[in-house]
Amino acid sequence: MRLSLDWLAELVDLPADAELIEGLSVGGFEDVSVTATGPDFSALRVGHVLERAAHPNADRLSVCRVDVGAGDPLEIVCGAPNVAAGQKVAVALVGTRLPDGRTLERAKLRGVVSNGMILSARELGLSDEHEGILVLDPAAPVGAPLSQALRAAGRVLELGITPNRGDAASLLGVAREVRAVFGGALRLPESAPPERGAPARGAIAVSIEAPDGCHHYVARVVRGVRNLASPDWLQRKLEASGLRSRGVVVDVTNLVLLELGQPLHAFDLRELRGGQVRVRRARSGEKLATLDGETRELDPRDLVIADEGRAIALAGVMGGRETEVNASTVDVLIESAHFAAVGVRRSARRHGIRSEASYRFERGVDPEGVRRAADRAARLLAELAAGEVAEGTVEARGEPAPPAPEILLELARANHLLGTRFTAAQATALLARVEVTAREAEPGSLRCRPPSHRGDLRIPEDLAEELARIHGVDKIATTLPVGTLAPVSLPPLWALADRARDALVAAGLFECLCFPFVPEGDGDRLGLAPEDPRRRTLRVVNPVKEEEGRLRASLLPSLLRLARQNLDRQVDPIRIFEVSRVFHPQEEPEPPAEPLWLAGLLTAPRQKRLWQTSTPPPVFFELKGIAERLLIQLGCMASLREGAVQPYLHPGAAAAILADEQVIGSIGELHPDVAARFEIDVPCALLELDLERALRAPRRAVRFREVSRFPQVRRDIAVYVAREQRAEELLAAIAKTAGPDLHSVELFDRYEGAGVPEGRLSLAFRLVFQRLDRTLTDAEVASAVERVVRMLSHRFGGNLR
Amino acid sequence: MPAETDSLEPLLAQACAEIAAADSLPALALVRAAYLGRKGSVAALLRGLGALAEPERLRQGRLANQAKERIEQAVAERRAALEAQARDRVLGEQRLDPTLPGAAPPAGALHPITRVMRDMVGFFSSLGFGIEEGPEVDSEYNNFEALNIDADHPARDEQDTLYVEGGRLLRTHTSTVQIRAMTGRTPPFRFIAPGRVYRHDLSPRHSPMFHQIEGFLVDDRVNFGDLKGVLFAFARFLMGDAVRLRFRSNHFPFTEPSGEVDYGCLICDGKGCATCSLSGWIEWGGCGMIHPRVLERCRIDPRRWQGFAFGMSLDRTAMLRLGLPQMRHLFEGDLRVLEQL
Repeated sequence: MRLSLDWLAELVDLPADAELIEGLSVGGFEDVSVTATGPDFSALRVGHVLERAAHPNADRLSVCRVDVGAGDPLEIVCGAPNVAAGQKVAVALVGTRLPDGRTLERAKLRGVVSNGMILSARELGLSDEHEGILVLDPAAPVGAPLSQALRAAGRVLELGITPNRGDAASLLGVAREVRAVFGGALRLPESAPPERGAPARGAIAVSIEAPDGCHHYVARVVRGVRNLASPDWLQRKLEASGLRSRGVVVDVTNLVLLELGQPLHAFDLRELRGGQVRVRRARSGEKLATLDGETRELDPRDLVIADEGRAIALAGVMGGRETEVNASTVDVLIESAHFAAVGVRRSARRHGIRSEASYRFERGVDPEGVRRAADRAARLLAELAAGEVAEGTVEARGEPAPPAPEILLELARANHLLGTRFTAAQATALLARVEVTAREAEPGSLRCRPPSHRGDLRIPEDLAEELARIHGVDKIATTLPVGTLAPVSLPPLWALADRARDALVAAGLFECLCFPFVPEGDGDRLGLAPEDPRRRTLRVVNPVKEEEGRLRASLLPSLLRLARQNLDRQVDPIRIFEVSRVFHPQEEPEPPAEPLWLAGLLTAPRQKRLWQTSTPPPVFFELKGIAERLLIQLGCMASLREGAVQPYLHPGAAAAILADEQVIGSIGELHPDVAARFEIDVPCALLELDLERALRAPRRAVRFREVSRFPQVRRDIAVYVAREQRAEELLAAIAKTAGPDLHSVELFDRYEGAGVPEGRLSLAFRLVFQRLDRTLTDAEVASAVERVVRMLSHRFGGNLR
Repeated sequence: MPAETDSLEPLLAQACAEIAAADSLPALALVRAAYLGRKGSVAALLRGLGALAEPERLRQGRLANQAKERIEQAVAERRAALEAQARDRVLGEQRLDPTLPGAAPPAGALHPITRVMRDMVGFFSSLGFGIEEGPEVDSEYNNFEALNIDADHPARDEQDTLYVEGGRLLRTHTSTVQIRAMTGRTPPFRFIAPGRVYRHDLSPRHSPMFHQIEGFLVDDRVNFGDLKGVLFAFARFLMGDAVRLRFRSNHFPFTEPSGEVDYGCLICDGKGCATCSLSGWIEWGGCGMIHPRVLERCRIDPRRWQGFAFGMSLDRTAMLRLGLPQMRHLFEGDLRVLEQL
């Protein structure tokens, strides 16, 4: 909310700006600031037109000699018809910034050089009139900054109001808070109107037919108004709050709304049919043309103000066009009413309207302030619009608003909650600053009654909050909790995810966090089967970006897009991973499943990385190595099995991650079709792991194995085998055949090409033999190697190289 | 002939000078042979001893042997020096270009949010807080009603909620976890709930996804002063001992009393700058004593138990640490940025 600070000063004494901002901030307002309004005129000068001559080459231009207080008078070309010698005018010198942001340059107009510019009210941003230049007060000092000659730029207090404090959404409300924090007196504006006209009762009848929606309705009648432009001071007060002037009658209702927080509405009394105001529910099918230009079909739950035959306003939300006041309005009915918050909120939401009135009704309006606001508006109309206030009000009451409750505040409990030691006297004094009356009913207990405008104070804890607030939360002593010590540990899945992140970071991958919002069609892009459950994604009803209206069911599309973006940024290679939940819709009423997944992506380097010579292995094998190490670090008994279990992986370069014969993830190169859809034009490998399944996988136990004191014996064997032969089978067969003295076997070379028979490749294995209890003899090793060679030849047709 | 005994000193001086002058191992060998070899000066001296009488022979013999030892020692020292020079020469010839780039293993990094989250989890673990998690897609009830934000509460407008089909929503705060964790538990207990939250907001200062850490403690004596104490300790842990905090009153439907915590802007030291919108303070999070109605909804007797709760933004802490100007840098996955962090 924005309010004129000068206006606030009329109601309450203000401290210096910085103190005010700090005090209101600590007291519960948000984003408090003080700013100057209006354009900055300090760069412009007051000039005195000494002479006006016709322009030699243009009928509509004139050449003026203008004294600007310094140096010689300037020649300025001016196009305004109303410029005349002797006037004081607003001058911009060459090089100054104009209110519209341009910098003024020396210009030649039809052959005459203009050394400045005389400005109109419109060019100054002061009005929409463009009839001619702005003529200043003849007493304005020549050469002075224009800001001195014009009305002082107002200062505006801006603050955010928490939803519980509807009472603070007014000048009066803020003034009360200022007084609560800084003390001083409140100066309430006069509200009693001079009543001169015939009784209002004769002009109008008010009835409440929906008593649950309207607690109190007060009508005032003002006759004979002249609905002209409002005086400058009134317009400025409205402008400071961002409201536009719409003629004095509406301006007065808005002024009172800002001043007292009570929404008002002014009807053109002559447009009201049957001399009736009825507060009732809308009829089904009933329509209302509202002030914003819309025609709205009303809902039978909407509360409306109606005359004899039709709805004329949506209660507490917005008035109707047909009974709107206009320039020819003579007699006015002022409505000041207290509508139920929930009803106003629902109507406003139903019709998509957020008005100054509905904002306040939703947050709570003082139920005791209804008549005062009607009186204040009537008084102002008498003063400013020459209106004649009819005698008396016409009122009706519905169900009473819930009265201010009496709250029993047990001091011991409040102090226990806050960590304070307020005595009854201290608490009473603090509460008095927010107009809560308190008296000590029995020792240690205060019977408290909040003022009518503080509908948010209902339970003892609310009063404890007021004590803390007025005392200052900052002043409550800082302590540390005392309590029972209990051991804590990370949730197992959390810990597993942390280990996975560490393993991948150690492997040189960067962790990314993506938004979960994805476009439709990722299932198609990944090439998922029609029945694949990951095709079903949750729809966001009101997405941030229309084109990203789904919650992802897989992390991979996010990583693929990220890879594409990073390739565009010329990052090379790309090594990324993400650990996040994905969203899988379930049959209602089951909530969506949110399994925690890990996904990684590697691209092969486009360019040689270093000055060093070794070539990296194909990206699949780099990723496989990373995956294997990851599984070890996660402590999972898991293995890789050849074959694509996912349609988006290359069928010839993929493997499933299995634990207990269950697929818990996969690795593989990206399928070329999918790569094309995501525009990935470098070799790319993917890793996916369901961390919840990984957590349930059998654990790999870490156990000490005796190390030998005796030397190892190494033997290398190279064999030719069929190209399709899987290395894993050979390794397993060697391990099985070589006997108990085999310590380890590894594949250290793989070669095909020149010198290797057609359709075959050469694989070289290093067998390491070692015993724990003694040194092996050559004969023992030779016999084991012999067994292996025979087995390879026999089972795999592997002939020795 | 006492003059003859003294004549060994010039011999020694001569030998040392020649040894020092030898500039290679072969040259040194020649010098050594000239003095200590079979035909060398010392040998000749020893050979001449036979002609001397007994006490004098003994004395001369001792002197000659001392000279021999000293020459031998000088030769050994010179040899060591020459060998060291030779090794240095060889090593010097093997010198590589140490200014070539090092061959580092590929470097990866945890996301800044993960690092901040680990720090925070570590801090609260040290104070005995356990970790609780909850779903990111949750019911309106858990996100609002259970937290005392009824359907007609204006606070709902201010949450900029993202709804998903089926009447659910993306949680707007981690306070949802409070409800899940408290329901069915008997105090005393203390937990934190770190996690992702979502709002319908894409302004430069905000992000539709961000991270919060929620903390809550319920027992029979914890008070607002304790809440302040924990947050002060937390702030010092994250931002150093010099950090300043400001507690402001505020309103949250699920705490009473409620407060907002700001820390003194670390960029301008509270003087006011663009980062803190000239206020000198940066909003850190909300806190308060758990509303008795929330305790009741979790079936905890508010007359017996009371508790505090707080919720802080992680993202801003990460941004502050790294000097990130905008939150979007955290979630765009631009490796040129992540590689720096």
